[in-house]
Amino acid sequence: MSAQRTARRAARLAALLPLLPLLLGARAHADASPVHYASDPARSRLEFSGVQAGAAFTAVFHGFSAAIAFSPDALAASRFDVTITLASVDSKDKDRDGTMRGADVFDVAHYPTAHYVTHSITRTASGFAASGALTLHGTTREVPIQFTFQSRAGGAELAGTAKLKRLDFGVGQGDWKSTDWVANEVSVAFDLQLVPAPP
Amino acid sequence: MTNDTAGARYGAAAKFLHWFIAALIVVQFSLAWTADDLPLGARKLGLLAWHKSFGMTILMLAIVRLLWRLGHAPPPLPAGMSPLERTLARGAHLTLYGLIFLMPLTGWMMSSAKNYAVSWFKLFTFPNLIAPNETAFAVLRNVHDSLSVVLLIVASLHLLAALKHHFWNRDDVLRRMLPFSKPARRP
Repeated sequence: MSAQRTARRAARLAALLPLLPLLLGARAHADASPVHYASDPARSRLEFSGVQAGAAFTAVFHGFSAAIAFSPDALAASRFDVTITLASVDSKDKDRDGTMRGADVFDVAHYPTAHYVTHSITRTASGFAASGALTLHGTTREVPIQFTFQSRAGGAELAGTAKLKRLDFGVGQGDWKSTDWVANEVSVAFDLQLVPAPP
Repeated sequence: MTNDTAGARYGAAAKFLHWFIAALIVVQFSLAWTADDLPLGARKLGLLAWHKSFGMTILMLAIVRLLWRLGHAPPPLPAGMSPLERTLARGAHLTLYGLIFLMPLTGWMMSSAKNYAVSWFKLFTFPNLIAPNETAFAVLRNVHDSLSVVLLIVASLHLLAALKHHFWNRDDVLRRMLPFSKPARRP
């Protein structure tokens, strides 16, 4: 009895055999690997803008490295990992840069870097959206980003924006906790030229 | 009032512009002197934000004032003034007119050179006049400071001269610029 049942099951399974390649194909597609890139520092830009006394100002970080694993066909396995050297901040004013490096703002002596790592990337109408965690000033918070990805000769271009509130990270102590003269909202923009890199 | 010098007075617009700008200049000096002694911080930023907003207000009023002045001749100087006094008075007025333009303009350029754009009472932001440049900032700061000393001296002389006309010469020079005052009627 039991042998007969086993034989029937085997026969049914055998009938499904022609579908196996399809199944494997689908699995292979889901497992597509993203392409690994690094940002080319000379041709990449990472900046943020804040509002100070009612007027916008923009500063760039000269020192940052981005390890990007991305493929539009492999979003599940795509991942950004960005490390920013905060002391490299440049707002075209030495006094302001010094203040930002100081204990009451970035406090680079204690928190020399900021780190951003994504945990999911999805497609949107105009490009892609990533959710990820930003660690800044010893505090980790979710920061979503919107970005576009374009293949380029010899690599790719990754450009996008994010918005965050500086006080969520404790950036601005003492005098600078007030938002009277320095707004809480900060927008971040990046335009990275990516070159292939080992994973 | 057959004599056009005795009764001629400044119009309401000229008076308003004169006194409003004068009051703003006093505010500007107090803000600048207070901010100068502070380290870079939120308080200094705040004071300088007011200084910039008032400064740009002065610049806008200066433009209005100049246009007004071109269409409205001021009352003539009293007949008894010597040629030297007339030259000094005209020179002082010309200098003060120049400074209500040059002070805001050099301040605006200073802000631009230091890459701190000028906001007008957080309502809108003026475009930067020049590119960020440390050397230019240092030069402009010296110019702005030096012009402020010139302004202080010439405005003080202007005030003393007006008082001298009023109390010494006993003419209409101060009264014709005072708000709400009637021209003196003399025999």
